[in-house]
Amino acid sequence: MKYLTQLALIFGICLVGDLVSSLLPFSFPGSVISMIFVLILLSSRILKEEHLGESADFLLRNMTFFFIPPGVGILRYAALVQSIWWQLILVNLISLVACFAASSYTVLLVMRIQRLIARRHHA
Amino acid sequence: MLEIAHSPLFGIMLSIVSFRIGLWVNKKVGHPLANPLIIAMLIVVAVLSVFGIPLDAFEQGSSFIAMFLAPVTAVLALTIYRQRKILAGAFFPVLFGTLAGALAALSSIRFSATLFGLNEQMIASLLSKSVTTPIAIAITEQFGGIPALTIASTVITGLAGNLLAPVLGKVFRINDPVAHGVGIGSCSHALGTSKALELGEVQGAMSSISISLSAIWTVLLAPFFF
Repeated sequence: MKYLTQLALIFGICLVGDLVSSLLPFSFPGSVISMIFVLILLSSRILKEEHLGESADFLLRNMTFFFIPPGVGILRYAALVQSIWWQLILVNLISLVACFAASSYTVLLVMRIQRLIARRHHA
Repeated sequence: MLEIAHSPLFGIMLSIVSFRIGLWVNKKVGHPLANPLIIAMLIVVAVLSVFGIPLDAFEQGSSFIAMFLAPVTAVLALTIYRQRKILAGAFFPVLFGTLAGALAALSSIRFSATLFGLNEQMIASLLSKSVTTPIAIAITEQFGGIPALTIASTVITGLAGNLLAPVLGKVFRINDPVAHGVGIGSCSHALGTSKALELGEVQGAMSSISISLSAIWTVLLAPFFF
């Protein structure tokens, strides 16, 4: 019963997330709203880690498993993928390098600014 | 005989067994290229085509599994919550680093995909591919893309990030472990993070926290690129 209660709680939060998503004037994924809800509930200590407990860890540990069904859906697009495979790989690689460089250099830049501010405070 | 393939239990069982084998092969081979998700997908596809089972029959059961994607995303909050102390230690660098990463990923995908003549539905499927898969799928569905294409791309990106993480660090001369970790997590989610964990504890922790933050930035910013 414990696991069922945990699952019911998680599903309930997801339903609320979907409901809020459908009421918003712009489009925003319901699952991400649920995630933000859980984060707020945990941070405000209304919800404790134990309340989500083993069921949440079960979902997180086996996360990859849940991608199999939508992934197999690629069968429907076999012809499409065959016609654009090199574009797909290039887009993936270009954005990988761009994203890596931008995020790493920004971290270095922000840390340098923080050091400058700290030094000025000391002076 | 093949009527049993139309039972919802068939799709669920086939997915579990295939994933089990995928995990086993991955452990035996011990290399990220032997990705359990890819292996599991190949086994499912092979079984379906060998026995001539239509995809619709498989989806009778597999749709129950796909239904768990939203709950998986919701409990991702737990991973952010558990890392709150690490995040607090480098709050602004990580916050802005993941923001810059998300902007760079979105704009470079938009630009290169347009350059290569991919249509709007393709772009909708690719925009979110740098972030963790459940959120990437949610973004793709929001823009009317093809989730299967997003999954293929997130796996390609994740694997490339895993293999290239040390090289990218050298090429861009990133000697700081925080910067390297945020870079890896922003561009190649959990698959890259497993390499970051090998590089060092700080790299691993930073990469891990960057997965969820860059995903949130991407959800917020993606509409401006579509």
